[in-house]
Amino acid sequence: MNVPAVVAVAGWELRLAVRGRLVMGTALTFTVVCVLATLLGLRSVSSLGLAGVGPGTGALINLAILFPPLMGITLGANSLSSARERSLLPLMLVQPLSRLDHVCGVVLGLVGAVWLTIGFGFGASALLLARVAGTSDVSGLLAIVGSALGVGVVSVAIGVAISALAGSRLQALGVSMGLWFLFAFAIDLVLAGVAAAVHLGPFGLFVGVLLNPLEAGRILMVLASGADALTLGPFGAYLNNTVGTAAAAMAVCASLAGWTVLSLLVAWAGIARREP
Amino acid sequence: MMRTHRLRPAEDAKLLEIHGVAKAFGEHVVLDDVSIQLEKGDIALLVGANGSGKSTLLRCVGGLTSFEGTVRVLGADPRTAAGQGLIGYLPQLVALPQSVTVGEVIAFFARLRKVKVRRPEELAKALPLPDGFLPSLELPIGALSGGMRRRVALCVALLGSPPLVLLDEPAASLDEEHSASLWETLQALRSAGGTALIAMPLLVTSLLRHDLATVADRAVLLEQGRVVHDGPVQSLRPAPALGTHRPTSVGTR
Repeated sequence: MNVPAVVAVAGWELRLAVRGRLVMGTALTFTVVCVLATLLGLRSVSSLGLAGVGPGTGALINLAILFPPLMGITLGANSLSSARERSLLPLMLVQPLSRLDHVCGVVLGLVGAVWLTIGFGFGASALLLARVAGTSDVSGLLAIVGSALGVGVVSVAIGVAISALAGSRLQALGVSMGLWFLFAFAIDLVLAGVAAAVHLGPFGLFVGVLLNPLEAGRILMVLASGADALTLGPFGAYLNNTVGTAAAAMAVCASLAGWTVLSLLVAWAGIARREP
Repeated sequence: MMRTHRLRPAEDAKLLEIHGVAKAFGEHVVLDDVSIQLEKGDIALLVGANGSGKSTLLRCVGGLTSFEGTVRVLGADPRTAAGQGLIGYLPQLVALPQSVTVGEVIAFFARLRKVKVRRPEELAKALPLPDGFLPSLELPIGALSGGMRRRVALCVALLGSPPLVLLDEPAASLDEEHSASLWETLQALRSAGGTALIAMPLLVTSLLRHDLATVADRAVLLEQGRVVHDGPVQSLRPAPALGTHRPTSVGTR
């Protein structure tokens, strides 16, 4: 791998992303809602600490599961498809770097943009929490942030994979939004609805969790932060009760890693096979 | 000081060998048994009407599309050659991002091509183009006219002085002054041993009056995906019976 070229492409993509309206708008919105969620939970935090505030922590986790992944998958979906439509992709691919270098650079750059957004949002929350919560709560918040960063990587990788395969930018954006909705809401609702009816069983639920990177990320955040077990949700609670916290955390981490690697491979195959 | 990263290609290989290249989109044949060879220092024009296959042939040489047949750039297949920095390419249409400046665009591609400069001002000097060809480095791309953006893209194609430059309608949107600068640059490129394959949507009568006719060594005339002429530009003659629009060739290589 041509590391300097990957770094150059990553820097280029990051620069383009942070100057775009999508990143600025999402970062601003995410920061505002994080601050609002934190303010709402501050009263309980002051008396119980971060780990004791189920609703407040749950709100932050849900925000981290909805906003950055939406931004990541949208940025990723826009990346190669937009460059292809503007003939920028052919110009990039005749440069001295491989297709894999290019894909890795794009993913890294966009991950940087998503991480900045997460940093702004949770940074503001951390500043507020620091006034009332004890230092022992910092680890819980860091756990949520760390998990959110991981979910950000997955969402960007999935978006870039969609971008590599899509016929147009519009198609890529449409598919990415649909997939985000599926991951964020639909899979949980469908699984919860059909689990009993079709006798999905423990293994079926386990697979259901692993097939949804956002659910896996949410469970990881809850497990890592030690927040209220109720926020684990039915699949997370099942996983936690069945295999224990450490094994459950490893399983969802493996799920996130698997989604990332698979998406990168799909993106690489797509850009190598398709004409730019 | 500028330093360009040059690779050591196969010593005895021809600069560009295109042999029996064919390409079709479904039933529509775009290139049919195209064979061209370029030596070091050749400036060759690829001329023909719209849809004759010029851009597709350049994309084949750049490793950007699949094809039947053989293409070798200094003995390497197109993708390998591009990966080694042997090819500079200007697409027919390219929309550079509007939120970056000219300097940022040039600096980014210079970094990819390992063209090292100490200060941003040296970027302009790293290019084999006359002073003033590249718009001001501080200007954002979004503030440039179409012709100025084309000049930036041309500079990207020529960065690092790659051995083979593929230019797809390079003079599109350029005014006369900058077109003349471009032709001068191509002459300088040839003097330095560089090679260029330039696609122009010119018919024979237009080509013979064009400034490029004095710059280029050869004209390769494409008609419906086939090479119908490959020889010196001045050996081309317009078809008298059809007035001035249909290209006819005299003599083939």
